[in-house]
Amino acid sequence: MRRPLISAALVILMLAFGVGVYQAAGYLKAGRPHVQRPSQTTGPVLPGSLYVIQAGALYRYQHGKFAQITKDNGWMQPAADPSGNRLVAVSREANHSELYLMDRNGSGLAQLTHNASSTVEQNHWVFYPSFSADGSQLFYDYDPKDPYNAYRVDLSIFASPADPNSKTAVRWTYPNEYTGGDVNPMPLRSGGLVYTKFSIDDKSKVHSQLWLQARPGSAGVALTDPEADCLQPALSPDELLLAMVCTNGEPLGGQVSVARFYAATSSLGAPAVLARGHLVASPSFSPDGKTLAYLAPATPDGGFQLWTVPATDSTAPPPKQITTNLDLDAGSAPVWIN
Amino acid sequence: MHMQRVLVVAAGFVLAGLLGLGAYFLPVLQTATSAAATAAIPNLDPKPASAAPFTVLLLGSDDDSKFPPDRLNTQSMILVRVDPASRQATMLSIPRDLWVPIPDQGSGKISWAYQLGGAQEAIAAVESNFKVHIDDYAWIGLNGLVKLIDQLGGVNVVITNPVMDDFYPSDLGSGYPYDYYRVAVLPGAVHLDGVHALQYVRSRHGDLRGDFARSERQQQVLLAIKAQASHLNVADLPALAAAFNGEIKTSMGLGRMRQVMTMANDFDGSGIHRIVLLPPYTSEGFVGGQSVVIPDWSAILPLVHQSFP
Repeated sequence: MRRPLISAALVILMLAFGVGVYQAAGYLKAGRPHVQRPSQTTGPVLPGSLYVIQAGALYRYQHGKFAQITKDNGWMQPAADPSGNRLVAVSREANHSELYLMDRNGSGLAQLTHNASSTVEQNHWVFYPSFSADGSQLFYDYDPKDPYNAYRVDLSIFASPADPNSKTAVRWTYPNEYTGGDVNPMPLRSGGLVYTKFSIDDKSKVHSQLWLQARPGSAGVALTDPEADCLQPALSPDELLLAMVCTNGEPLGGQVSVARFYAATSSLGAPAVLARGHLVASPSFSPDGKTLAYLAPATPDGGFQLWTVPATDSTAPPPKQITTNLDLDAGSAPVWIN
Repeated sequence: MHMQRVLVVAAGFVLAGLLGLGAYFLPVLQTATSAAATAAIPNLDPKPASAAPFTVLLLGSDDDSKFPPDRLNTQSMILVRVDPASRQATMLSIPRDLWVPIPDQGSGKISWAYQLGGAQEAIAAVESNFKVHIDDYAWIGLNGLVKLIDQLGGVNVVITNPVMDDFYPSDLGSGYPYDYYRVAVLPGAVHLDGVHALQYVRSRHGDLRGDFARSERQQQVLLAIKAQASHLNVADLPALAAAFNGEIKTSMGLGRMRQVMTMANDFDGSGIHRIVLLPPYTSEGFVGGQSVVIPDWSAILPLVHQSFP
């Protein structure tokens, strides 16, 4: 009687052991990096308010906590007016995008552009909005159609009054053809414009350069060398410093640099590297101009996190990671206001 | 007699453990078996992986409903040479419109070889024209790439310039495969999910450099996949294999896959050499009224043989 019972128990134990081995193999899985919603996390307290995007929603970071201020429906690239009371942001749909004004709580939406069309290729994009220094104008990217070649889509920079009733637009830039266009407009107090221009050299290599233009349609001058491959400019509030991301042609690398900006001579001083890593993106100055916020993954395979670094001294402490386990939109520069 | 019983019980536990492991890795075996059946190339390599250098031909096809499953071209061909000992690798993108002799088929675009005779014909076309030896191949379809990248949790890449396309094929999950939609992949460092990574590597209409730009982007995403896969281990293979469900075929055995995964951990990317056959290695031309890429073999072969035996 005992022997069959022991045999049955052993068989059950063997089956349990087999299931245990199966489960143990599963525990060895590395799986995907864990991503949280910003509003589920907290971080160190920073002065003022920061606005960032994750999964199409706009979040405000204040007193070490995130609050979601829009729904998750395609929001990207927010920017603030000089007073910090109004935001502008892009709402992206499948084939077009629109600019909306909103207050600093994400309320009071006012649509500025109307780019939708039932014919796919007649839709328009609008990206990278940025207020002029007096807050009256908006500079942004737009894709005018090429009447001779429907396949050519190059973004150009335009400016319009920051008013939903306005119908006027001034074209500022004419990009090199088939490069994708000019991006990242940063209007200057003097009335000029800093932006990123792309070119293709005689060896078919793409370069990005920071470009300075005094008025609509003028030729402009390069602020950086083609080989440095710099893009995503950010101006300090006093316009004395220019931050940028330069990749030097590296396919999976880059650095955040800051340089003195001499508007009068249309030139930059020697850049100081503030942060380097596998990937860095979208620098933005604090309201007092002393700190830079930027986005970068904590590990090469992770989502983008918020980092800060002192803006004025390359010998300062290393960058400080503000968030963990997020997947912030690296193409939307943080907006930092008082 | 007592010893015999102990041995039987021990054998029972070992067998149960092996069954547990077998069940866990079943999706890998199923994928391997279906790949072998489709490609007629044995892929369960019993040989242990060695540290010797090896060459893999990576193939990518538009496998949407526009094409019968057995009549697919390869939109992407990348020859990869890996030297595990020196931690060096070379990626050579082969233009899809390269006009070459295809063994036993006459002349044609090299992308046709896969359609004419599957992976074996594609391998034969590359081996005979580039005078190289290929050890293994891996083929992936559109959905396979999307699933692979999503399984990895996305990829991080630096977009060099805006990739704009008003006529991007809407052929994944769409009822009508000739539909199209607009794509705008914006510059800078970004995290891309599978669908957006596919848009990035597939779009070509708005770029002056056409297919050459696409080749560069494909190599870049391959590097990003390598970086992203560095956190994986062998225990992740079943979930990956289950997700692919026929969207990937390979002649690589489990030993080589394990080796590739280990290398993904070890390689930091600095030892990876990237080659795109831009002019003067190639030139644009027309054959029979169609646009093709004409190779200059006197320039290409010395370049290729610096890295590929």
